[in-house]
Amino acid sequence: MIAKLMILVAKAWQKGPSQILPPSCRYQPSCSAYAITAIQRYGAARGGWMALKRICRCHPWGGQGYDPVP
Amino acid sequence: MNDSKNLILAVLLSALVLLGWTWAANKYFPTANPPSGKSVNGQRQAVPQSQTQAQPATIAPKALQNRDQVLASTPRVRIDSPSLQGSINLKGAQIDDLLLVRHRETIARDSPPVRLLSPIGAPDAYIVQFGWTAQGATAPDLNTVWTADSTTLTPGHPVTLTTQTPDGISYQMKIAVDDGYLFTVQKSVTNGSAQPIAVRPIGLVSRAAKSTDPSTWTNHVGPISVFGGKADYQVNWKDLDEKGSASFADVSGWLGFTDKYWLTALVPTGPVAADFRHSPSGAYQAEFAAAPVSVAPNQTVTTQTRLFAGAKEKTWLDRYEDAGIPKLSKSIDWGWFEFFMRPIFDLLMFLFHAIGNFGFAIIALTLIVRSILFPIAQKQFQSMAAMRKLQPKMKAIQERFKEDKARQQQEILKLYQEEKVNPAAGCLPILLQIPIFYALYKVLLVSVEMRHQPFILWIRDLSAPDPLTPVNLFGLLHFTPPAMLAIGILPIMVGATQWLSMKLNPQPMDPAQAQVFAIMPWFLVFIMAPFAAGLQLYWITNNVLTIAQQWHLYRKYGLHLADTHPVHT
Repeated sequence: MIAKLMILVAKAWQKGPSQILPPSCRYQPSCSAYAITAIQRYGAARGGWMALKRICRCHPWGGQGYDPVP
Repeated sequence: MNDSKNLILAVLLSALVLLGWTWAANKYFPTANPPSGKSVNGQRQAVPQSQTQAQPATIAPKALQNRDQVLASTPRVRIDSPSLQGSINLKGAQIDDLLLVRHRETIARDSPPVRLLSPIGAPDAYIVQFGWTAQGATAPDLNTVWTADSTTLTPGHPVTLTTQTPDGISYQMKIAVDDGYLFTVQKSVTNGSAQPIAVRPIGLVSRAAKSTDPSTWTNHVGPISVFGGKADYQVNWKDLDEKGSASFADVSGWLGFTDKYWLTALVPTGPVAADFRHSPSGAYQAEFAAAPVSVAPNQTVTTQTRLFAGAKEKTWLDRYEDAGIPKLSKSIDWGWFEFFMRPIFDLLMFLFHAIGNFGFAIIALTLIVRSILFPIAQKQFQSMAAMRKLQPKMKAIQERFKEDKARQQQEILKLYQEEKVNPAAGCLPILLQIPIFYALYKVLLVSVEMRHQPFILWIRDLSAPDPLTPVNLFGLLHFTPPAMLAIGILPIMVGATQWLSMKLNPQPMDPAQAQVFAIMPWFLVFIMAPFAAGLQLYWITNNVLTIAQQWHLYRKYGLHLADTHPVHT
């Protein structure tokens, strides 16, 4: 239930704000896609935590490139 | 084919946004004040029926009269302080005449001060009353005429009201006021009879109609309370209309009604029973009753009640919070970003007092926030400059994998990784900036301090929309365009600066997204038009700073516009 809600939020982000903000993805897949996969694969708690860690990596001084959900 | 489908979709979506906006704006974001302030509707028939559970003091509804006549019809004690003017009605011991002298109804030079409280029988009745209910004795009611020991209540000079019932019970209220918006009422009962009696101190706020300010999900207007240290914005006018009442048993804190900028709140001492009610006459009432206290013969019992009646100026709210009124500053609906808004609010007030003009204070605040965020943009440009050196390698990759787009992107990402550059800033900076800008917006939305503050030239009230619109040739044609078309100069500047700043940003490659990008600035004009000028000013400043920052960085790193369009993944 919570997992579905979180995935919905991520999808809403992709369809909404993400469309009008300047492109900014350093990683492949994007943080929102990563979050959706992670939550689907590991559930709300662990998947959500992984997504949060990914977002925190995604800044100008952070890493980049191909970084799929383990 | 797919592109044109996307394009049509984008246009349709945009049209939907535009049409839906007026509706949504009215429903969710009615941020700007009507320029004329509170409307006085002489036709309103509602008269509050003051009644608490134990004391049904019914007032016969009568036709509304001129306020001056109503005020002259009963004996009164004048209230005179630097913030407040008005009077206490000795009939019923009501505070029912209160003007906030430091705030005016409109920006006109001869505008009267804002009226918070108004007597029963006059338009917009809104009253506060203190008293008791008694068991085994009579208690004063709305028809009791009290005796005052002074004709004027001023800060430092309290007034004592007294009355005695035929059965020998003396009631006394010592009312004090400070320089701000706080009344302190010491209520005592002396039992002069031979029997022990039991009394319950009560207090009520009653208003004939709901506030003319709309309640939105970004800013609650209506019944408000803090009990047990927790603010409750959940009770709305509508809930009272439907359910009739909302009750709280054995609670400590405060309750009352809030408008967008004004608050009337009762602060009882100790645990009380409290409720909000909607009476059949249409009036809304917030009331409390303390636990019964028994008073033996010849004994006196004193309780204290405080009343906040005034503007939600944060300095005063904070001061009263320090003086023991729990979370009074929560009467401002801060929302989720409170922890963030408070420092921004304090900084804005500091800038306002240092600079002296609220508009320039907004500009200075935006400047400070943007300079904190500057290193992020700087870092991004460093990467973009570094990328220029990679151009030959990128070209080679693009040539080699011309047929396979996915492979091409992968190779480019690999190149980025090897060379440790990336033109994209990542999502964390964006996710961090959204709360910052939302907090700025919310601060400007809730602060009474911005009300009626001028900027320069034609902007005389930063809390109202830009009044000057080219639609009626800046007022040369004498007609008022419909609200949706009344696009001011500031919102047009918002659109223009937004367009320019987006031109300087990396462009999206997806054609549908590019379409959204191209149309967005012009939507923003419509979206921002009904907002307060202060918000529009903040938005323009933010855009201008973006443009200046990009321009500076392009020059500093010797880049051209063409270099900043990264390959998209």
